[in-house]
Amino acid sequence: MVTDPGASAGARGLRFLNRPRGLAVEADAAGEPRAIAWQGRFRRVAAIHDRWRIDDEWWREEVARIYFEVELEGGRRLTVFRDLVGGGWFLQPYRAPVFTAGTPGAGGRIP
Amino acid sequence: MDFACIQVPWFAIAIARRDDPRLAGRPVVVGGSPEEHAEVTACSAEAMAAGVAPGMSLRRALALCPGAVFLPLAASAIRAEAERLAELLRERSPLVEEAGDGHLHCEIRGLPALAGLGPAAYLAQLQEGLAGATGLPVLAGAATTVFAAHAACSALGLGFRVAGERGGPRQAIVIAPGREREFLAHLPVEVLPVEPAMHQRLRLFGIERLGQLAGLPLSALQAQFGPAGRRAWELANGRDDARLQPAPAALRVREEVDLPAPAVSLGALLAGSEAALGRAFGNPELQGRAVRIVTWWAGLEDGARVSRRLAFREPTADPRHALFVLRAKLETLRLPAPAVSVGVELNGACSEYAHQQLLWAAGQGRRRELDEAIAQLHARAGAAQVFRIVEVQPWSRIPERQLALVAYGS
Repeated sequence: MVTDPGASAGARGLRFLNRPRGLAVEADAAGEPRAIAWQGRFRRVAAIHDRWRIDDEWWREEVARIYFEVELEGGRRLTVFRDLVGGGWFLQPYRAPVFTAGTPGAGGRIP
Repeated sequence: MDFACIQVPWFAIAIARRDDPRLAGRPVVVGGSPEEHAEVTACSAEAMAAGVAPGMSLRRALALCPGAVFLPLAASAIRAEAERLAELLRERSPLVEEAGDGHLHCEIRGLPALAGLGPAAYLAQLQEGLAGATGLPVLAGAATTVFAAHAACSALGLGFRVAGERGGPRQAIVIAPGREREFLAHLPVEVLPVEPAMHQRLRLFGIERLGQLAGLPLSALQAQFGPAGRRAWELANGRDDARLQPAPAALRVREEVDLPAPAVSLGALLAGSEAALGRAFGNPELQGRAVRIVTWWAGLEDGARVSRRLAFREPTADPRHALFVLRAKLETLRLPAPAVSVGVELNGACSEYAHQQLLWAAGQGRRRELDEAIAQLHARAGAAQVFRIVEVQPWSRIPERQLALVAYGS
């Protein structure tokens, strides 16, 4: 489980977890991370294992991000994303969405 | 052709029908008798056609399909049959992965050439060999990737007609190298190894075949399903670099002790067992590990053998504890002849067990004390100090919307 970000409680006294943390990233011309500041120094990205994009909430405050699952030199694996709306790089462990029968938009059972 | 997939569709039903041929063609439900408060574990295609589905209550299954034959769940027999099928395949392939009961993946790279056969003839021989040895309706698929082999085999199981097929139903199919994408295009999205909810959502989007999925932009699938969407797109396009993951070989430690004289008394058997257990638990391979199962046996004077199996509630690394449990078993044992040796085999090795208790499972009284203590803590600090984690929007693709902390007691 992720740590408490220390953010103030919002509506209904909720403190959302797993907020993105700002990160210094050196990117190449294609917009892919080449080095990441981790534990006090820039470390070379040894491999990009996966990448995916999410676009959501365009009807209010648009969210558009491109995520990278990277491996740093030394073997450390991180999930980082580039904010395509506000700019900047962030660190954020990714938890895949969980769809259940009651999920909005998930619909009913298909025979 | 590097990989093969072996499947026995409706595995539990297939075993029941093999053991009792009168069940052929009849609706069969596995899980118990309809009076039991239990769920359907497996059901035949005939029962499914009547609306029965795994997971529903047995009573409801009876209401939907009154003519069905209800069978008890013989989980250990099913597991033993699955293990036998895996063992037979291990004799034929160097690398076998168990994907489920009656569902195996294996590597067959180079094996057809070694047998002097073409890929199709080799796979047909493999399928016939397994079907003949088990008496089960085995299906086989082979391709250059694990997923294509799996999809080909699943397609046979689902009854999909394959291009170029003639005559009766096929039991084995080989996908020619380079034609994976073309073959996969006709298959339903249900062959994808993703969550069932994703299958449902794909269907709601009108995407029913892998060909439709493969034709979509990758970014659109990533946007909807995250990494699972990317994986599905790659698989639908015939791209799969997955490697097989065989189950690690189970550690077994055997020790046998010859008794100084033929014995039938409990004391002599326990003394021999204590020595055998001490040696077995002292084996260096078991260092830092505990075991779940001990098989004990006594070798009798007439050459026969009497054995007992002990399954511990919690794994143990202590020979004294094992002896204590064994003693209870041996007290009621009557040997038909004097024993000349006793032995033990330790199975189910696992990491040392930690005795951790759940904070919230300590009973109502303890829970009330805890609630009061937390309320006092909050009052003293003037703000919440203890929180619960709650799911807010678990379906959101934005990670920070999914979980939140809420003050304990609010």
